Amino acid sequence: MRHVRTVVLLSALGLAACAPEIVRHPTQLAAVTEQPGGTIEVLEDASISVGPGYRRVIRRGSVWVSIGRSVEGEVFKPVDRVFTVEGAHIHEAYLVLAGDRIVGFYLPVERAFSPAPDGPNTRLSIRRRQP
Amino acid sequence: MRARFAPVLLVLLLSACATGPKYTEVASTIPSLMSSQGRIYFYRPSALGAAVQPEIKLNGEKVGTAKPHGFYFVDRAPGNCEVTAATETEKKLTFTLEPRQERYVRLKIQMGLFVGRIVPELVDKAEAEDELKTLSFIADPLK
Repeated sequence: MRHVRTVVLLSALGLAACAPEIVRHPTQLAAVTEQPGGTIEVLEDASISVGPGYRRVIRRGSVWVSIGRSVEGEVFKPVDRVFTVEGAHIHEAYLVLAGDRIVGFYLPVERAFSPAPDGPNTRLSIRRRQP
Repeated sequence: MRARFAPVLLVLLLSACATGPKYTEVASTIPSLMSSQGRIYFYRPSALGAAVQPEIKLNGEKVGTAKPHGFYFVDRAPGNCEVTAATETEKKLTFTLEPRQERYVRLKIQMGLFVGRIVPELVDKAEAEDELKTLSFIADPLK
């Protein structure tokens, strides 16, 4: 029994160390240039998957500023906070929303879009503020 | 017999940790940032797996090691950053650095199959400053 537990534990550790990299593809961000974009404030905590086996909580009260659009949706960067997605590696990420649905994440270093692992159906409870 | 090992292990553990002034003692003396640069803090709050102290690289250049209970910072030109810690498996962290921006990278120990590994994580400023309070400043992280 002890051996079985050890094997299960080692397998879990091994799998955690070998998480696949997140799915992503290059995308183009059309940045907001004329004036600062509008902001959204998150009204309820939302737990979302951000990669194989990894989740993050988008906190109630967090504020995100619109920095532009990609073909996938409107891109929001966190204000005074950081947000990351994780697979084999960890990447700084911004939210990509279609209305109030999280469709995925924009990775500013990789200039890539990573689709939401849960699918584009997670809705955020938000309040919009125009600039 | 066990009683003899305990003090030895304790000494080994403590000697593996960073020593030096605490963040609260040096925070006011840390030089202000040049307008053309950003600053990245690296810190390791836990002494778990203290023997594992891999090199920390920023965009391929060694900037220090993952010393338990220690912190240091580097100033760099704005741009893309990639942090790596070479252990059993390598997990990269990528993020952007803007002019006059401060970034905080926590070096977290994670138990691997045979030894621990260091995972660099990007952390909110408020959370990092809270964790930094008890950590020791490593003035020359390349030593």
